[in-house]
Amino acid sequence: MSSKAEILAALKSVALPEHPMPKVEIAPRLDDLIGQYEAGLKACGGTLIRDNALAALQSQVDTLIAEGKQVISRVDAVTGNREVPSDPHELKDINYAVIPGQLGVAENGSIWVTEDLAGIRIAPFICENLMLVLKAEDIVANMHQALAKISLDNTGFGVFIAGPSKTADIEQALVIGAHGACTLNVYLV
Amino acid sequence: MSQAQTSVGHAEKADIFCKDEARVDWHSKALWLLRQKRDRAAAAIPEWEELRTLGSEIKLHTLTHLPQYLEQFEANCQKNGIIVHWAKDGQEHNRIVHEILSKHQVKKLVKSKSMLTEECHLNPYLESKGIEVIDTDLGERIIQLNKQPPSHIVVPAIHLKKEEVGELFHNKIGTEKGASDPTYLTRSARAHLREHFLTADAGMTGVNMAIAEDGAIVVCTNEGNADMGCNLPKLTLHSMGIDKLIPNNEAASVLLRTLARNAIGQLITTYSSFYHGPKPGGEMHVIIVDNGRSEMLKDKLLAESLKCIRCGGCMNTCPVYRRSGGYSYNYFIPGPIGIAVGSNQDDTNTIPWACTLCGSCTYVCPTKVPLHNIIAYQRRLKAEAGKLPYGKAGYMPMVGKVMSSPTLLNCAMSVARFSLRYLPGSLLKPFAGAWGKYRELPKAPASSFEAWYKKNRSK
Amino acid sequence: MKIALFIPCLVNQLLPQVAIATTELLEKLGHDVILPEGQTCCGQPMTNSGCFNEARSTVMKLLNAFKGVECDAIVCPAASCLVAAKENFHEYDNSPEAKAVIDKLYELTEFLHDVAPVDSFPRAFPHKVSLQLSCHGLRMLELANASESMKPGFNKMAALLEKVPGVEILYPEPRDECCGFGGTFAMDEGAVSAKMGNDKAQAHAKTGAEYIVGFDPSCLMHLDGLIRRHKLPIEIRHLAQILNDAI
Repeated sequence: MSSKAEILAALKSVALPEHPMPKVEIAPRLDDLIGQYEAGLKACGGTLIRDNALAALQSQVDTLIAEGKQVISRVDAVTGNREVPSDPHELKDINYAVIPGQLGVAENGSIWVTEDLAGIRIAPFICENLMLVLKAEDIVANMHQALAKISLDNTGFGVFIAGPSKTADIEQALVIGAHGACTLNVYLV
Repeated sequence: MSQAQTSVGHAEKADIFCKDEARVDWHSKALWLLRQKRDRAAAAIPEWEELRTLGSEIKLHTLTHLPQYLEQFEANCQKNGIIVHWAKDGQEHNRIVHEILSKHQVKKLVKSKSMLTEECHLNPYLESKGIEVIDTDLGERIIQLNKQPPSHIVVPAIHLKKEEVGELFHNKIGTEKGASDPTYLTRSARAHLREHFLTADAGMTGVNMAIAEDGAIVVCTNEGNADMGCNLPKLTLHSMGIDKLIPNNEAASVLLRTLARNAIGQLITTYSSFYHGPKPGGEMHVIIVDNGRSEMLKDKLLAESLKCIRCGGCMNTCPVYRRSGGYSYNYFIPGPIGIAVGSNQDDTNTIPWACTLCGSCTYVCPTKVPLHNIIAYQRRLKAEAGKLPYGKAGYMPMVGKVMSSPTLLNCAMSVARFSLRYLPGSLLKPFAGAWGKYRELPKAPASSFEAWYKKNRSK
Repeated sequence: MKIALFIPCLVNQLLPQVAIATTELLEKLGHDVILPEGQTCCGQPMTNSGCFNEARSTVMKLLNAFKGVECDAIVCPAASCLVAAKENFHEYDNSPEAKAVIDKLYELTEFLHDVAPVDSFPRAFPHKVSLQLSCHGLRMLELANASESMKPGFNKMAALLEKVPGVEILYPEPRDECCGFGGTFAMDEGAVSAKMGNDKAQAHAKTGAEYIVGFDPSCLMHLDGLIRRHKLPIEIRHLAQILNDAI
């Protein structure tokens, strides 16, 4: 008997009585979604740029490139100085990554980013600094709405990103900048 | 841990831990801070209790339909190009992992936190086969360098002070002598581990949730170590217990709302990553592990412990864990959930008694695992197996006899009351054991209530 | 109402003043109080150690003391013993007679709050009290909302004490952490039990209260032993004692 068959056979004698799948019926909090989102993002260490965001982003990227920084952009309106490589290791010196988010979640400040949008899976993690572009109309209230909306059908990888990477593994002291990006700016358009 | 260590019971280890009271206070406070953050995060969501109920029901539903969901999960994974393996136990799991790694001539594996690989003792197994295993979660890396197991499932190095981490990093990764600033130490570890991420041949993670309907696994970290480890090398492996399964995205939406909030009071982990297939040109393996879980499911109460989503909230609230430390439990998972799932592995048979049955863990739990009931039940299982600790097998039958006989009980208690009233404390203390060692003995009344009642109320 | 007292062994033998206060309080409130004979321990020291065989005769002895006793309610001034009695009666005896007993079991606080509510207490108790929210009463009888729970807050002991003029209610920080008694835990795990108890006693003392007031005599006895050992400026009182003095 294969291990699979053995495990499945053993699972025939589960002692718990059959339990139905519950319905998730939680009313979303719909007031001031952008305000809620901004508060959520701030709580997880990110910064929201609301005013004239796309222009601000482009001018920031121009300055960064002039300073010699390595910038990869996956947002059509913003031009970087690096392309998506086939080998992810080539991105080890990336200072900034500009990536469009598919949707934002007001309750926790997270943004859903997929492999397609990022161009390559490693991009949002390996960069020193992450810049995500989010459309205001793509903000949903909570995770129930978010997970009802996203689909993995056409992508091998997706991630909710909530702020810069962080850790509190040494004496509970919060340190921003663990293994992933050290900063996160979200540009609301 | 060595055999010699595990044969010491919880009380004895806790007694040693308690000798440094300032450190106990420091440890307890650090964990209580997490509980307080959790309370604030939970209170901010009006539907918190509803989410706990949903979490429990989703898990109960999945656990009672596991064969169906496991097969659906496997089929969907395969459709997505993921290679699925099944392991009955830890040994088989380790063998499968090693086979995959050796097929790809992997010399260095970067691993993100996985309690399952701890459970299977994967690291020493792979190291014995000549494969270098690098734990990449900061806390895990600290204890790996310190040659210790985790003392907590979410904050594994919570027992160490920053000065101790500073000293360790100075010796192992060359940080400045005497430096203990957490930001400096964290950034140094970032640089040290970045090198390992860039040179690893394969990445491995645990699994927070496995979604049957999609054939996807969800991995949650704050540090981004799982994603750095999985998205650079071509080869990735993910180990999951059969209890990690959930039916669909909707179920994930419930658990993703409670997991980080209950663990550390965060709204959500920085990264909640859904791996749905290998990267272009890559290879992705999922290893589904039983290792005793199907056996636990055969017991109605033990089965409920498999609802656990490993948030660690029960440890943070547990007054005993906070004052005895993660290494006093004789099982790789400490605290209430460790007692619930690991009591049969404790050769000292003491961990079910490392609990006052206060029930705080049960109320904290985001999936309503009835932890204190399971712990009480583990005591019963020990008693039935004739494995009672602390001399209970000797005195419990006596207690039963005395308590069930009013004459004996009255005699015994009269002697006790008399002794408490008339004998000097110094004479009594040696007989009062642990009670008198720490506390004053009760002030004994002249007579029992029964006697008072007979005298004052008898009609 | 006709009330049968359930006085657990510890209260009977070591804290008779709690049982006397309970008797007097219920009588002053106009109830007819009786003490069924042959009561003993609820079996908790044994069942909490997993020793169900050893506990059987004790539990049955206690249950039998109440079977067939004519009364409207069986009231106990010890939350933890009451919980254990309820669970253990159910464990060993599924008969209708046992169910009749179980259905009448009430802890004193819940009896005074839910079953035979008291409007007000006439005599003032002008003192600061720090509430000891013991675990089994809190989480198994839901005498108050536990701090882990996000349900709407309520506290039956506080609600009763608020009816006594002059009482100022305070809470230790943390509010409802276990005091570390835990039955045989106090002996098996002496060091942790004492550390928990000391932390708790000090948290109570820090409120500036003169009394620790609670519904569980065993926790109070444990705290008392530590308070006296460390000479803390606070004393223990059972809720029944405060309420009895307020009438």
